[in-house]
Order: sequence, then structure tokens, then C-alpha cells
Amino acid sequence: MQNVKAIFSLVSVSLILMVAIISPSIAASTAKPVEIKGEIIDTWCYLSGVMGGPDAVIGTAHHTCALWCAAGGIPVGVLAEDGTIYMVLKLKGEDPLAQSDTVMEIQSNKITAKGMHYLRDGVNYIVVENVIANEGITNRNHEDYGVVPPFAIPKKK
Amino acid sequence: MILNLVKTALVVTCIIVVGLSLSTPSHAQDFAKGSNAKEWGLIGEEKATFSGKVVDILCQLSGDCPANCGKGIRNLGVLRSVDNKLIFVTKNSQPAFNGATEDLLPYCGKDVDVDGVMVGENEKIAKVFLIQFIRIGGEEKWNKANLWTKKWQEKNPDAKGKGPWFRRDPRVAKQIKANGYFGLGHEEDERWRKAEEEE
Repeated sequence: MQNVKAIFSLVSVSLILMVAIISPSIAASTAKPVEIKGEIIDTWCYLSGVMGGPDAVIGTAHHTCALWCAAGGIPVGVLAEDGTIYMVLKLKGEDPLAQSDTVMEIQSNKITAKGMHYLRDGVNYIVVENVIANEGITNRNHEDYGVVPPFAIPKKK
Repeated sequence: MILNLVKTALVVTCIIVVGLSLSTPSHAQDFAKGSNAKEWGLIGEEKATFSGKVVDILCQLSGDCPANCGKGIRNLGVLRSVDNKLIFVTKNSQPAFNGATEDLLPYCGKDVDVDGVMVGENEKIAKVFLIQFIRIGGEEKWNKANLWTKKWQEKNPDAKGKGPWFRRDPRVAKQIKANGYFGLGHEEDERWRKAEEEE
């Protein structure tokens, strides 16, 4: 009888420990309300490095390219102050690839957004419900990097 | 007695967890095997071909599921069969600032095979997929994932003229007209141009 109790206890404690170890990955895809501050960026150029280093593919230097990518249906993101990238799945109720100006007007802007945060398989996503503050374009990095890519500003004829 | 029980339970748990994680198919899977994707030389790039179902990302996460994956206005991805991972497909094979939704949309809810490259430093921020080829699961013929510019032309019949689509896109043109190429106004564009000419 004592053996049965010991085995039962062992199994119970093991199960509790397993749940404790595994639960973060299970809970990871649940929604959490969030408020984040950061810059609206083009996620492809930032993640892939195709146009240069991360400091060059944000801000004014990369603004025109960010417009191209947003119009081209590449996901936009919020680069938060802690370096996390939140992929924007909705912006103020609009789907990101709707052919509206909402996603275009906010490119390279520094915003504070409230919304729902999802984390799934290493990617952070956000449904932006509200932009509660917008400081506009504050990162004047074209003064350091020029235009990225260089052909973004066409040469005058 | 209790301490021994907890110690034993901890050891048993570790063995089970390690065993489970090692037996997960994704650890055994070499996604680069069989891939015919072209390398782009990007950060954290890894060739990858795998099977899965085309899904609407927001639908998967939140249960907000419009018909037909949003009919082109949502970000799409592939729910990988072998490990149930949600792969965010953010780029198609065209080198002209094009996303992947147009290439995935015809396969919404269907089982597909895809080939391309995973990109990004997963451990730091995110890893996403650049799709180069797609086909219905198990079919022989692959289709190039390069539909975006064709679909753009259909949606923008009046955007005529010379140059690539991004020079003619009305939404891009509207923003540049309003705020210039740096987004700071036309005076800053001119100031920068003059400085460049002087150098």
C-alpha cells in the first residue's frame, strides 16, 4: 500500500513539474493586452539585412523603401524600444493589406500603441487597437546613412 | 522521504521532457534537404522545403477568421505539418519589395508543399519565410511564387508609365508628394540633394 502511495505521489509531482516546464510554450500563443512604444518599420529589410544593417533600414534614410514595402504587402512592424519586433496584423481596425492610406501614413513614425499581443513560435504579433500617441518621424538617420537604398530618391533629369 | 520523492520526480520529469523534445519530429527534420531554393545571402538564411496548410495568421492566433483568408488583405502563413509550427511567410521570390499574400491566397486552407528560405535571427527577434515555389501537396509541378506584380497591375490599370511598379504606385506617390522621400517635407529633400551635389 505504501508503495502505491509513493508511486502515486511520484507521478503527481512529475506531472506538476512537467506542466510547469512546458506551460510557457502553451501559454505563448494566448492574447495579452499590451502598450508599446516604438517605430513603425518595414520588417523584411530589418530582419533580412538585404539593404544593410539594422540602424540603416529604419528612420528617414529608409522611409521611401518602407513605403514601397508597405504598399507591396510586406508586413509592417513596430520596433519597440527594447528591440522586440511586433508584426502588425491589424492597425486601428484595418487589415494591413487593405488598399488604404492608414498603413502608408504611419511609416517610420514613432508611436505608442495599445493592442493585443500574441507570441507564437518565436514571432511577436500585435493587433493595434489604438495609436495613443504619434511623435511623427523622429529618427533623422539619413544624416548618417544617406538614402537606403541609394536609388530610392531618383536623380533629377 | 519527501526530499527523495521530489528529487526522484525531478529526475523522472527531466528524462520525460528531454525524451519528448528529442522525439519531436522537427528535431529530426532537415528542412534544407530536397530544397531547390535560390540563396539570397540574407541574415540567418537557411533553405527550407516543407509541407503544411496555408492559413490566415490572425485567424490562427485569435479566431478572427474572414472568408477565404481575408481575400488578399491579411498576412498569410503556413502551418507546418511536421511540428505544427506557424511559419510567417512575409516575402515572395520577386526582388522588388513584394509580399507573399498573392502567392499563398489561391491555396487558402489547402495542404501545400513550399520551398524557399527561412530568414532572420530567431533567437533574437523573429524568423520568417521567403517563399520561392509552391504546389498542392504531393503534386509534381512546382509554381513560382512571383504573382505580386501581375496582381498589382490588375489592381492599378491606370498606373501607367515607365519604371517599376513602386515608382508608379498611387499610394506611394501620394505619400512622397505630401511629405517627400525622407518623410520630412520637400525642403529637406532639396537640402540633402544640394549637399550631395556639392560633395
